[in-house]
Amino acid sequence: LTQDLRKLLFSTNNLSDFEIIVTQANQTETIFNCHRAILSFRSNYFDGLFRSKMKEYQEGRVFFSDVSPEVMKNILDYIYTGSIEITEENAVEILIKSKQLCIDEIVFFTSNFIQRNI
Amino acid sequence: MSRKMILRVPKFQEPKRMEKSEAQRLWLLLKDAIVEVQHMNASTLSFEELYRSSYSLVIAKRGDILYTGLEEVNNHHTKNLLDKIAQAVDERFLIELNSQWQQYKLQQIMIHDILMYLDRMYVKEPQLKVFDLGMFKWKQNVLIHSQINDRLVRMLLGLIHMERNGEVIDGALMKSLIQMYVDVSLKEKETYKQEFEERFLLATSHFYKSESNLFITNNSCGAYLKKVEIRLIEEEARIKQYLDESTGPKLIKACEDELIANHMQTMIEMETGCRTMIQNDRFNELKLMYRLFQRVENGLVHLKNEFAGYVRNEGHKIVNQPENLKDPNALITSLIEIRNRFEKTLSQSFANNRDFINSVNTAFESFLNENDKLSESLALFIDKKLRGGFKDSNDQEIDVIMNKVILLFRFLSDKDVFKKFYEHYLAKRLLSGRSFSEDLERTMISKFKQECGNQFTSKMEGMFTDMRLSKDALDGFKNYLQTSVEMGKLPKIDMSVRVLTQGFWPTFPPHSCTLPPLLSQYCDLFTKYYCHAHTGRRIIWQTNIGTAEVTFRLPKKTHVLALSTYQMLIMLLFNDAEKLSLKQMAAGTSISFMDIQRSVKPLYSGKYKVLKRTPAVEKSKELSENDIFELNLNLKCKLHRIKFAATSQTDSEPERQHTRQRVDEDRKIEIDAAIVRIMKSRKALIHNDLIVECTKQLSSRFVPQTSMIKKRIENLIEREYLERFPDDRRRYRYLA
Repeated sequence: LTQDLRKLLFSTNNLSDFEIIVTQANQTETIFNCHRAILSFRSNYFDGLFRSKMKEYQEGRVFFSDVSPEVMKNILDYIYTGSIEITEENAVEILIKSKQLCIDEIVFFTSNFIQRNI
Repeated sequence: MSRKMILRVPKFQEPKRMEKSEAQRLWLLLKDAIVEVQHMNASTLSFEELYRSSYSLVIAKRGDILYTGLEEVNNHHTKNLLDKIAQAVDERFLIELNSQWQQYKLQQIMIHDILMYLDRMYVKEPQLKVFDLGMFKWKQNVLIHSQINDRLVRMLLGLIHMERNGEVIDGALMKSLIQMYVDVSLKEKETYKQEFEERFLLATSHFYKSESNLFITNNSCGAYLKKVEIRLIEEEARIKQYLDESTGPKLIKACEDELIANHMQTMIEMETGCRTMIQNDRFNELKLMYRLFQRVENGLVHLKNEFAGYVRNEGHKIVNQPENLKDPNALITSLIEIRNRFEKTLSQSFANNRDFINSVNTAFESFLNENDKLSESLALFIDKKLRGGFKDSNDQEIDVIMNKVILLFRFLSDKDVFKKFYEHYLAKRLLSGRSFSEDLERTMISKFKQECGNQFTSKMEGMFTDMRLSKDALDGFKNYLQTSVEMGKLPKIDMSVRVLTQGFWPTFPPHSCTLPPLLSQYCDLFTKYYCHAHTGRRIIWQTNIGTAEVTFRLPKKTHVLALSTYQMLIMLLFNDAEKLSLKQMAAGTSISFMDIQRSVKPLYSGKYKVLKRTPAVEKSKELSENDIFELNLNLKCKLHRIKFAATSQTDSEPERQHTRQRVDEDRKIEIDAAIVRIMKSRKALIHNDLIVECTKQLSSRFVPQTSMIKKRIENLIEREYLERFPDDRRRYRYLA
């Protein structure tokens, strides 16, 4: 099931109904094709975003500029499959973004990881 | 240690302290958005942007600006709404209020979503969460405002009142508005309880108080019960439809109090009430009453007492009815009938409730022991059944009757009296060969055995054993006679003897009589034979319970008379005399005068008269010693064999007295045994404790009188089983 869900996240033409677009300083855009049902179920941030039926809900996409595509991919990995790869390099960034997105489990894992490794 | 360095990526340095102007800018952005949301124009706003703004304020430690600002905006907004809503008139008021409320709730959810980060990271107790803050503002500025609250509650209660009177109201609107009270309550639904529930319950009590008073005075109890049931179902539905579920138990309690508890006494006593229902076996109405009374505290106690009282009363009537006192059969039959009837009421109406059954049983116990005739009546009833009353019943019916008998038996407090009577009648049945079926006799006895144990039935079983052994002994005797030397000298008569073990059988009052020489010889022969076969045994002849057949030769016809031994002796006297006075009869037979009287009576006053009184006198006149009798040679009877009653069918008073006396004697022994048993194990005991203990031990068999126990204690002291303590006269010590 885990593998199927990962496939779902990274395959194209996957009945996706929502895009997460990560923009970087150099104007490059990375698009993740996602699913509202899964996102809203796994993160209070997305839950509120869909419930409030604002612009993102109408347009079917959201722009993030405060996160790297790699970290976003890590977090989505967790949202879809329940496992995440935390390294010394990405730990802090993951912590910040997951806290913002209200995914408490990742916050818990990463802060534990950082405490152990400092 | 180098790892530490890798983690400190420069990119993620602590955010710089935010400029105040920047914070202000973010707040204004959010404020505008909130106002847009409040005007339902949210769809063009960017959630991410707003969320990030509130996030930035919070991580820059500027949450206070955001929180106090939000409070103000909400305050302002709700005050505006109040005016709008308060202006609505009549029915529009509820609709306007509801639609504003629904919108407001949605807005607050949105605001909560945008400010989620604030909620999670900034708000600390006792500050209200963002959503609760919104609810609180609504409550403060709209709901409990003097222009709204009272008006709203009155309208809601008015609608509920209309619905109770049969009109249709908008349930969804009701639900939404009532739920509003719950939603704005911060903890434990306090606003709902204070502002709405309390007044609602009061109105409910009020409504049902007047309705029930009016209804019950104008309708029958049955109709009222149905009405109550419907009302309760309606209220249950009301809870589900639009009240908060926490109100359920309170509402139902209020209804039950007004509809049931306050009218219980009336429902029991009113003309169409409980009493009449029980009398007329209205099972369904009683069942409904049971179900409703069950709901209120002590309700069933009332109903139970009423029912038990009725049972006791009915039973009392039956056991004291003059006709029933004369006819044991009718008495027991009607007792079984009411037992059946009440069992039906119990099962059909009262769900076989344990308490009800127990109280009915207690009632039976009390009236069955009201007079001491019942033990005997019950024994007589069985006697009649076992003499042939069961002839027309099948096994199942017989079993049912027997079980009912056992049931009544169970209620008797003096089981030993019953036992004596039962043994007495059983003995008579067996000896006179009148028992209908030995199998049934044994079934009945085994039922007693199940109920009271071996000891209770050991004598009865002994009687059966005797009957069997007697048959063997008699066969042996017949063989003996054929081989005996003396046989040739004696004319042949057909003699039948039953050997009874003393102790198993009721003791019959000893009587003596002179047997004719032929019979005496046979008796002697049997004694000789039996004592030879069983050494060490002694035979006592009980002639008063025997039977005999005598040939009665009339000039034209010959009859065979089936008589008791005594009657036979009397008739034999007429072989040698034409006329005899009672005195002469007594002298010729050595039978007591009383027995002569009783034996003669059936011979001259029955349907077939073999004796006639000379001179003829009125039948009813008491017999005296000098009355003269002669044979009635003009006897007209088609039958060849004429059977005569030995004495009157039921026992005479002296015999009954005798049975009673024997019971008393047995009780003395039982009490002695109980006292000794108790004292042996306890060594020393205070008087009262001994009495209590003794009564308890004996209660399965009879209820001993205290005076009797006292006498037995005295007696045991005399016989030196017990002694009083020298220093405390109220204590006894067991003397080994």
